Amino acid sequence: MVSAGTLHVITTELAIGAYATAGVAFLLAGLASHGLFGLGRHLHTADLAAHFALAFGLLAMPFAMATGISSSPGDGIDHPLLINKMLLGSGAIGLAMGVLLTRRRLGAGVWEDRGGRRWQSLGGLGAVGLVLITASMGGTYTRGESLLDVLSLPYDVVPLMPVWLSLAVLCLAVVNLVLMRRPRAT
Amino acid sequence: MKRVAILLVVATLLMAPSFGSANPNGVGEGTFDAQCGGACHGDADMNRTSASTVSLDVPAVVYEGLLTSVAVTVSGVQTTSTGVLGIFLLSDVTGAEDTPEDDGWTIVSNSEGGTHNYVEVIVAPGVMTYTVEWTLRAPEVGDYRLHAAIHHGAQDGSGAPFFGVSLAPATVEVQPVPANLPRLAEDFQPPVLRTLGETTTVRLTTDAVTDLQVEWRVEGGMTRTAKTTFENEGVWTFEIPASLEPVVVEWRVHLAGDGPTQTTPWLALQSEEPRFTVDETAAYVQAFAILFVTMVVFMSLQRRVPPPGEQPKILPFPNEVMP
Repeated sequence: MVSAGTLHVITTELAIGAYATAGVAFLLAGLASHGLFGLGRHLHTADLAAHFALAFGLLAMPFAMATGISSSPGDGIDHPLLINKMLLGSGAIGLAMGVLLTRRRLGAGVWEDRGGRRWQSLGGLGAVGLVLITASMGGTYTRGESLLDVLSLPYDVVPLMPVWLSLAVLCLAVVNLVLMRRPRAT
Repeated sequence: MKRVAILLVVATLLMAPSFGSANPNGVGEGTFDAQCGGACHGDADMNRTSASTVSLDVPAVVYEGLLTSVAVTVSGVQTTSTGVLGIFLLSDVTGAEDTPEDDGWTIVSNSEGGTHNYVEVIVAPGVMTYTVEWTLRAPEVGDYRLHAAIHHGAQDGSGAPFFGVSLAPATVEVQPVPANLPRLAEDFQPPVLRTLGETTTVRLTTDAVTDLQVEWRVEGGMTRTAKTTFENEGVWTFEIPASLEPVVVEWRVHLAGDGPTQTTPWLALQSEEPRFTVDETAAYVQAFAILFVTMVVFMSLQRRVPPPGEQPKILPFPNEVMP
């Protein structure tokens, strides 16, 4: 039998490895799309690598989360770090899904538009950054220290909104999502 | 559609191991049957018999509805390198509906600061004997049996799930309460948990008691006497000083009255850091809100980039009339 803790390490490494690859590839794609450092010819490769790695990382994340919950002691969310981890992880998943859905809608053409390429690379890097901070918080929770502790992030502060406000924001976001699916007026 | 089906199958297969995984760091205290809900320790195909000895110390006669103490001692402790040892108090060992509550007992407290029949303790290296005490409220009049069991792993990390059980059950006879027996009231619930730095005021309700004396002690420390205050008929209060670190304070009462003087078992009061509590629903809803908001905000930013199909086609001669 393999313990949930061991499975969590495996799935986390899978997710983090994929996100790290995506981060490097998004950086390269951003630079290449802006024609910097003579990387223009590598844009196609960096684009595919970035989005594929991001998609793979996104697929691996639920398993990392499920095994993480199984392996953590105690019941439910009983530490501010866990709440912040969940909120930050949700932001990372949302941003990653936004980046991937945009890539799906626009295809490789996303790199041809001036604003499009800027936001696509920043969005990808932002998602990777959020995941890395989330993983760092996991290290702080289990081992009491992490590489990103140098940033002195306020892990113990929980920015929790009232349920009604969260529901209102959620509804607003869903309505926006539905409206976005409607074809643009010509 | 086919891709979605494949994705679901792969996802299910990937999730499967996490549901069947072992728990080398334990599962935490709780109310569990002997086999811990089908744990590996109870699986005859997988488990191994523990070399440790488990014994029970219970009064042979107790009174209906009154508190009594049950001590479970594990000798020749064997456990993993982390020292985790799971100890059960049970009414039988069938593996189904065999907690003391199933026989009518009420667990008031245990020496680990909980109110469950299963506790997990960390045994320090070199410690060969470990005792956990439960304080129980006796059920209806009758004869009862109590068992104890243990779950643990191996020091060499081989992962074998060990299971041990007391050689013979302890037999307890529950008798009716004599009319004038000095005792704590049946509805008295002793506190089991408190926050660090807070003095605990205990309000004792008693029956047939004319005088009482309260003793308390910190584990391993000397026994002290608490000052008691008579409130009104059968009601007394006393204070246990605040503790500055997480420790278990034990206290007991000597009850005097017309009947024979009685002494309650030691009752455990666990001090701990203030617990972090949060509205989990609010946290989950906010997590979903953040997920959707970040996704929608990003997609909105990229919305102004037209998709390839919508880009205007440049027709050089739209109005050209072909000859």
